[in-house]
Amino acid sequence: MQRFRIIKRQERLGWRSCFILLTAIALALLLSAVMLVMRGTPPVEGILTLFKGAFGSRWAIEDSLIKAIPIFLCSLGVATAFRLQIWNIGAEGQFALGAIGATWAALTFPELPKPVLLSMMIGAACIAGGVWGMIPAILRQRLGTNEIIVTLMMNYIAILLLEYLVYGIWKDPASYGFPMTPMFSEQAIVGKIGTSGVNSGIFHCLVLGVLFWIFFTFTRTGFELKASGDSVRAARYAGIPYNYLVVLVMVLSGALAGWAGFLEASATINRLQPSIMVGYGYTAIVVAWLARLNPLNIAITSFLLAGLRVGVESLQLDMQVPAAFGGMIEGLILMTVLASGFFVHYKMVPVRKQ
Amino acid sequence: MATAEPVIRLEGISKSFGSVQANQDITLDVHQGRILALLGENGAGKSTLMSILAGQLQPDSGTISHAGKPVVFTNTEKAIQSGIGMVYQHFKLVDAMTVAENVFLGASDSVWLRHKEMNTEVRQLAEKYGMSIDPEAVIADLSMGEKQQVEILKLLHRKSSILIFDEPTAVLTPKESEALFATMRQMVEMGTAIVFISHKLEEVLSLADDIAILKRGRVIDQLPKKSVHSTAELARRMVGRAVLLEVDKEPVEPRQIVLKVSSLTGKGLKGADFEVRQGEVFGIVGVAGNGQKPLVETICGLTSPKKGSVRILGLEWKQFFSKQNWEQTLSYIPEDRQGLATCPGLSLLDNFLLTTRGGFVRGPWLLKKRAGATVNKLINDFDIRPPDLDALAWQLSGGNLQKMVLAREFYRRPRLIVAEQPTQGLDIAAAEDVWNLLMKAREQAGILLVTGDLSEALTLSDRIGVMYGGMLVETFAADDQERIDKIPEMMAGLATN
Repeated sequence: MQRFRIIKRQERLGWRSCFILLTAIALALLLSAVMLVMRGTPPVEGILTLFKGAFGSRWAIEDSLIKAIPIFLCSLGVATAFRLQIWNIGAEGQFALGAIGATWAALTFPELPKPVLLSMMIGAACIAGGVWGMIPAILRQRLGTNEIIVTLMMNYIAILLLEYLVYGIWKDPASYGFPMTPMFSEQAIVGKIGTSGVNSGIFHCLVLGVLFWIFFTFTRTGFELKASGDSVRAARYAGIPYNYLVVLVMVLSGALAGWAGFLEASATINRLQPSIMVGYGYTAIVVAWLARLNPLNIAITSFLLAGLRVGVESLQLDMQVPAAFGGMIEGLILMTVLASGFFVHYKMVPVRKQ
Repeated sequence: MATAEPVIRLEGISKSFGSVQANQDITLDVHQGRILALLGENGAGKSTLMSILAGQLQPDSGTISHAGKPVVFTNTEKAIQSGIGMVYQHFKLVDAMTVAENVFLGASDSVWLRHKEMNTEVRQLAEKYGMSIDPEAVIADLSMGEKQQVEILKLLHRKSSILIFDEPTAVLTPKESEALFATMRQMVEMGTAIVFISHKLEEVLSLADDIAILKRGRVIDQLPKKSVHSTAELARRMVGRAVLLEVDKEPVEPRQIVLKVSSLTGKGLKGADFEVRQGEVFGIVGVAGNGQKPLVETICGLTSPKKGSVRILGLEWKQFFSKQNWEQTLSYIPEDRQGLATCPGLSLLDNFLLTTRGGFVRGPWLLKKRAGATVNKLINDFDIRPPDLDALAWQLSGGNLQKMVLAREFYRRPRLIVAEQPTQGLDIAAAEDVWNLLMKAREQAGILLVTGDLSEALTLSDRIGVMYGGMLVETFAADDQERIDKIPEMMAGLATN
């Protein structure tokens, strides 16, 4: 049998690394097709349905964009923390808190003029999400807890808090017992762009994405984050306030996820209800990794994985494939792409028999 | 049980990393039933040599023979098969498993674990070598000394007959060290060969049968213990003859005090006292592990002083580090250039900004373009290669990385420089560059030089302090020949008057 030796690449791959990425995605789709075959669905047709459902019509693309908005913002948030090697798995909970904060403002001051009320909702969402992110950061600094576990557990607390509110004090008396708040007032709703179905939250994404890039590229604090993310010891040596930065990124991270929660409640659902939690915060982690924490890549990847969610709905309707299949493809793509990172840094050279 | 035929013979081993010669033409014999001590400063090439013996590195030239037959250790597996086992400074144990499970880890072929038999076997093995350890204890609950015993048991269980100990007492209490030495003697009596890496003179003298001294990659001395009479003699051999090196040293009048350390105690320090003035180099010499590291870390703000005081540029330690200016202050040139002084994954430009960022900000913005122009000029002036702002720090050789750190730190126009082993691992040309740079900086700054290289200390320093046991045992002018001759005694902790 041919044997291989593993050698570290000396030169950087540069643009050629996209071949590796495409191969990895193709492999993930191939494995998905195999799973379709196993349950008796024609694989080629299945994958085509998936793509058509996601990007094959104006309606499909709009739906993908709508779902990409919260994923993008949550992903930008977790990427902020990941750049400092702080593993914030809590975007889901911070998203919920953002939705709660925004809802509080919308229900408390429904009659304020639109710009004022929307700003208040954003502020409340960012504060609520930011505080939710700050708690694990402070626990980490003071008590040495692991932020992965704390952020993860706080997700469940956040979701239960949301349910408590919509089943209890915020429940719409006219909802026939369904757990949901009353519909937001007109002033509390982020509108749609022209005749399209896409809301203007997409402009928020654009602005925040650019700010993210500017922050990390041109500011002193952004530089300090980059250095601390590379080596904590060197950061301490250089007098960088590492402990403060950990709290800062967690607050920013939570605020961005909170902003996503605001947009979802205000623009997409127009109220708060438990079905707002569909796992965008977890998809955001996958997106951040696939995009290597780069904001432009995060935008593209958010759109693609949002498309996957939409496409799976068609797959479910047309070919009776369960919705969980979407999560499986998402997982497969993450695994193959992460594994393919090996080939970016190493190459296999055949060993000649002596 | 000592035999004439060496069980391992290293012949003409050379190994270089880039332009740095880590091992140069080393020939050593390891005998069954004897303890060979490898003595040398950090960076003398001990670890490289042992990594070659353990199959982790391949020598550039030279041969290894095992029991008279030449062998090539292309990987660690082959070295293990020849009976070579290494006890690392950092233990490689699974914390959540028991002692016996760790000993059998990777060694057992069967699917089922037989805990009872494993425990009995480990207990018997431990008793045979005079160790008292509970095979059922979980690793996480053990002391450092006990963990080390597990490492040794692992090797003994694999029937390793040549054991390498890499600074084994660095993590042990004195009592645990005694127990370890007893075990080592026991093993030697049963015919094991031991290589013992250390820079603690007393240990080497009390334990070893043969002593080999390494310096700058070469074996400079090899002798049986019988012929060494005192630790001072050992220190003298280790330090070698101090050679004054060619460096332009203009006389500078010392001015105000920039650093004053008084009765600094804690973390291995036991009342260190000295001061450094602007315009002078104060060289601290001593065998590694006598308090140099905590001293430097405290002065440079990485750890806070427990007892005693440190005054830097006229300010108390706490005051000084509470608000730091980026320029005309303290520059620290650490020994660990790759892990502490630079971020390996960042570019040269970003690494330059690490400590100088304060000089390139306007409001919240970092002026990278302006910094880029400055760095380009520095790269040119200091001849840093590759001359590329975007090169990542890990891609630079040790010498170029050190030049980059120096360029950065001198750009800050420091008034106090703490240089820790500034030429360790550099080739001679790069080392000369570093020395000349330090001499030039002396005109503006006070320099605290901490080094294990006596020649370097004598060449550069105006005053010398010798460190032993956490304090400066003596301080004197660098041209006081009578005291200089006594440095080995001072380094060995022998009182001098």
